[in-house]
Amino acid sequence: MKLSDIAQVIRSKNAGPRRLTLDIMFGSDTDYNRVAQSPALGAENIGRLYRVPADQVTIIPYPVGRAIKIVMPRTIMAGDPGDYDVYGAQQHAPLLGIEI
Amino acid sequence: MSASGRVIAEFRRSPRPIRLLGASGQLGYGIPAASFKGGIERKPDLIGCDMGSIDIGPTYLGKGEMATSPESTRRDLRRVLTAARALDVPLVIGSAGSAGAGPHLDATLAMIRDIARTDGLRFRMAVMRADIPRPALLDAVRTGKVTSFDSMPALTEADVTDAAHIVGQMGMGPFRAALEADVDVVIAGRACDTAIFASLPALLGFPVGLAMHMAKIIECGSLCCVPGGRDPILAELDHDGFTLESMNPERRATPTSVAAHSLYEQSDPFTMQEPDGTLDLTHARYEAVDDRRARVSGGTWRDTSAPTIKLEGATKVGERAVLLCGSADPRFIEQCKSLLPKVADLVQSLVCEDQPLDYTLRFRVYGIDGVRMVAPENEAPPGEVFIMGECIAPSRERASEVVRTCKQFLLHFGYPGRLSTAGNIAFPFTPPEVSLGPAYRFNVYHLLHVDDADALFPVEIETV
Repeated sequence: MKLSDIAQVIRSKNAGPRRLTLDIMFGSDTDYNRVAQSPALGAENIGRLYRVPADQVTIIPYPVGRAIKIVMPRTIMAGDPGDYDVYGAQQHAPLLGIEI
Repeated sequence: MSASGRVIAEFRRSPRPIRLLGASGQLGYGIPAASFKGGIERKPDLIGCDMGSIDIGPTYLGKGEMATSPESTRRDLRRVLTAARALDVPLVIGSAGSAGAGPHLDATLAMIRDIARTDGLRFRMAVMRADIPRPALLDAVRTGKVTSFDSMPALTEADVTDAAHIVGQMGMGPFRAALEADVDVVIAGRACDTAIFASLPALLGFPVGLAMHMAKIIECGSLCCVPGGRDPILAELDHDGFTLESMNPERRATPTSVAAHSLYEQSDPFTMQEPDGTLDLTHARYEAVDDRRARVSGGTWRDTSAPTIKLEGATKVGERAVLLCGSADPRFIEQCKSLLPKVADLVQSLVCEDQPLDYTLRFRVYGIDGVRMVAPENEAPPGEVFIMGECIAPSRERASEVVRTCKQFLLHFGYPGRLSTAGNIAFPFTPPEVSLGPAYRFNVYHLLHVDDADALFPVEIETV
């Protein structure tokens, strides 16, 4: 099953101009627990998807919000010449097709 | 007595829970009238609005311009000012004019004075500037009082000199000083959004951890609700927790939706660094009061003995011009990622015949890799693409020359297998080249270590 079929929210945004944060939120504890335990959302796999070294990817489980947070450096500082997404609001797309 | 003095005296005389109205997370984009009216009918003790952030990019800070239109900004300011004066409660606005530097603050103050004059309002106003004096900052750089974070390169003296504007995010201290000065309106330059709402409860003796957590949520309006939105939100804070209620009856603050809001634009949902200390949400609890109100408790606060001010500055990198066009030719689309650099080389050979290469020219191909940090391999080619060419050059004329030349030679560039020999690209309109004015980048995003987090932001009092 794809992550986009399970999650209620899959979003990205800047956390300051140098970091990107991705939030995945679930409608039930069952869905949250199922995904939170999957290696598909480990730093290794996410780093591969975004071509960021795994040791720079932080995965934060947040059960009280039934959510998983991913934090990684942006490849370019927000608003620098050559940036492609100043707010970082469209960098969630690679997560959508992750198989759980 | 002015509004803040009256509210402070009232709470000291007879303590009770305090009500704060988060009127707008982005003042200047419109405040929904019905939900704002609903909020005012609940008689809040303070109306607060956040007006800006760093998220909008470096150009507003650099140019000294607001992101919002003057008309809608004035309309929003008038709405909150009129309501606050009618209730005789403090109006507190932070990060004035989108980026909170001198020109942004001055433009906001000019609007406020003009509204007061037009509407016959009289009040006492506290103003806190957020611009960091250059000589003091240069000294701080030399003496190692400025440090980097998030892998930002070290701040140099040249960065300080080159930046068009440098601001610091002020914390609660200047807001407390302003509210203690018996005022009706508080307008701050760049400020922590939390300080707008947490300062009054903190000075009244409410637990700072709860006040901060509440502030962190209501500075975004009803974004913490399902469905989230920009309607005003009311928080009622006591000594054990706070209750949140959207002023739009269709928006529900649920324990999960409010808890999830702690993730928003944050790299860590459990701890948040502020200039004066740290908010710890490890033991935060979220409970339902009813189906559209949530009760929150458990946030704690640790004062810091080593205050830091987050600095933001932007420097000009040149003048920007763009070319806007598209293609529906499968052969062009298939080859365009390799063709565009060849077009750029051709452009360079023409515009640099008797001049050095003094510009950058980049292309984004929407439909292929215009948006994503990393585009996946082996994606099927799209039926159409949109191409944006972007030039940054030392002058507006030079940038325009480059994109105009680019337009012509991209249109007629020959390549193997080309069928559409009358033109490679479509223009939605002409001219397809647009001059966008000066371009900036953030060159200051650092921490300034200070002994006193408030000394940089003195409070000025003005009678309007």
